[in-house]
Amino acid sequence: MIGEIRIPEGVDAEAPALARGLVFWAKPGIETWDEAQAELTLAFELTRNSARNEHSSVYIVANDSLLGRRGPAEAMVAAGLLSAARTAAVEGWKKSWTANTVAFDDGQDPSLVLDRAVSLLEDGSITGELVHIGPGHIGKALA
Amino acid sequence: MNGTVVVTGAARGIGRVIAETLRDTGPFTVVGVDIAPELALSEGIVPVQIDLTASDGPEAVKAAVEETGLPLLGVVNNAGITRDARLINMTDADFSSVLTVNLGAAFRLAEALSPLIAPGGAIVNIASRAYLGNFGQYNYSMSKGGLVGMTRALAIDLAPHVRVNAIAPGLIASEMSLAIPDEIREKMIAAIPLGRMGEPQEIADAVWYLLSPQSAYITGHVLVIGGGRSLT
Repeated sequence: MIGEIRIPEGVDAEAPALARGLVFWAKPGIETWDEAQAELTLAFELTRNSARNEHSSVYIVANDSLLGRRGPAEAMVAAGLLSAARTAAVEGWKKSWTANTVAFDDGQDPSLVLDRAVSLLEDGSITGELVHIGPGHIGKALA
Repeated sequence: MNGTVVVTGAARGIGRVIAETLRDTGPFTVVGVDIAPELALSEGIVPVQIDLTASDGPEAVKAAVEETGLPLLGVVNNAGITRDARLINMTDADFSSVLTVNLGAAFRLAEALSPLIAPGGAIVNIASRAYLGNFGQYNYSMSKGGLVGMTRALAIDLAPHVRVNAIAPGLIASEMSLAIPDEIREKMIAAIPLGRMGEPQEIADAVWYLLSPQSAYITGHVLVIGGGRSLT
């Protein structure tokens, strides 16, 4: 398996070459259960595939989605991915693959966000983490 | 506080204790929702035996609420299932069923009932400590994390009239946890600072608090009830 980068429509970033692993950027603008279910199912299928190859995964979500500021459907996807990454991290650690989540503030350069995600993917020592890009999480309730 | 409260997954386990506690300490008229026929065993609870994942599930609950003729004061999204496996072995069916029951049904019910909730009312979503991550539960963890996300968003959307909170139980003495092999369960208990499983009544008491005016300034919160397990 070669690396897989999922960048949804509407995100203006060029996918870098990836030798292995998964970077999954959550689709923005999700409003219904059907859309949320489709997004979470796609993340599951791609992550399972990556895990079966003992490769790491990183999910990218909007910080506003995680905090619930963009409606319940988008919040379910963002927070669901964060929790799933933590469980994947527990399972992958003994097999030397990792799972992390990147949450970015509005206005961040998508290429920078992607670079940070790829760095996490290649690091190998950090797992189960939520890495914020931007200060939007400071003073907010997130666990 | 005389009104109706809906409790899903009310036939057994934690949900049944929640429904009976609210019935006894209300004054609430409790509409209990479950797919299981044991629902009829709880006296004084209006039973709605239905599959909440079916397309007509939320509307059937809505109709039962309207039939009570009382204001809707609370919704407790408790229904949940597990289909555990390591991620690499998890089947599409097990992933899908857990997500659909634990998250999809809760979302659709909240969508249907939110407009009916009276000012001062509240939603309590029963998540799980597994939203922090738990081996062999990629599907369950994702579904409960999703429920936490939904809690935050609805807390913003429904404020200031309706509050929305979540409870994340740890190891509770319910059918779900008693199905765990003894040896594994003992190891799990050993990792809990308070040295025991929680009781369903302890979850029910927290639900009552989060529905009551005593918690009128709390919304968007996740209350972990796990005997301190998140510390060890």
